[in-house]
Amino acid sequence: MGILSILILNKAGGLIYQRDFNEGLKKLSSNDYLVLAGTFHGVHAITSRISPVPGSGGLEVMESEHFRMQCFQTLTGTKFLIFAQPHQPNIDVIVKRVYELYADYVMKNPFYQIEMPIRCEAFDRNLLAYIQPRQ
Amino acid sequence: MTIYSFYIFDRHCECIYIKQWHQQDKFRPTSSAGPSGTDSPASLTGDGKRSSAGSTLLRSNDTNPSRPGGRLSVQDDAKLIFGVVFSLRNMVRKLSGPEDSFISYRTGAYKLHYYETPTNLKFVLLTDVKMNNLRVVLHQIYVNLYVEFVVKNPLSPVEHHGGEGVAVELFEMGLDGFIRTIQD
Repeated sequence: MGILSILILNKAGGLIYQRDFNEGLKKLSSNDYLVLAGTFHGVHAITSRISPVPGSGGLEVMESEHFRMQCFQTLTGTKFLIFAQPHQPNIDVIVKRVYELYADYVMKNPFYQIEMPIRCEAFDRNLLAYIQPRQ
Repeated sequence: MTIYSFYIFDRHCECIYIKQWHQQDKFRPTSSAGPSGTDSPASLTGDGKRSSAGSTLLRSNDTNPSRPGGRLSVQDDAKLIFGVVFSLRNMVRKLSGPEDSFISYRTGAYKLHYYETPTNLKFVLLTDVKMNNLRVVLHQIYVNLYVEFVVKNPLSPVEHHGGEGVAVELFEMGLDGFIRTIQD
């Protein structure tokens, strides 16, 4: 059981944070992660366009045979992608908590430049401390 | 439990079959912009569903007025859907290896189910969000309807350019009946 990986995308679709917490997903090169983030950003926009009913948002949950990905988009357009094992419960809660940690340790960091890659030690530490006991 | 639409894409990335339920009849009366699809060869039956003869023709002048900004034709919709499933499928394969496969995604308003055969034929079904996993259903459509009525049809071409060959009456009727059983 557990969280496999967390990605954070800025509102332009650029990857600003990537971290693996568990075995399960392949390690990609940093360039591949950037491509993946960009692709997902586009797919997310299209999924709200192809909706057969009006008023749909973008992709929220994607399932594959080996994992499940939850996407949470904040009001400002930042996306949190949480990759978990297929039957991981309460991902919603985890996503919200990760967002809180982001708000606390990234946005309130006076040295963080907005939309740029996240290099905040306190965020890393607290994220790990939150995710690790849940594995 | 609502099923909105069903698409088949062949191995050349071409959409060879489209069928839609429920969405056209709901939005057509409120349509104010763009030409409606009634001048196309596809005829609409009284309750707003396409007649079986017309549903497989890939039209270019049909609009879908359900979207506020753009007026995408059914065909353009199919292209976007193909783009989405193709990207997601590649994303999944890249992240967890070639033996993994993309199953479904959902947004706040609909859910997309996906099944790919070993011959790269792609089946896509759009339903409402409450629907359970329908990969088995798509597999059944492939095995019991597509193989039986399209592949085994001696008059059917090997490749289905523009959807010819999939537009068989038996396949149409079987699909319609089968989808109806799921919706109930």
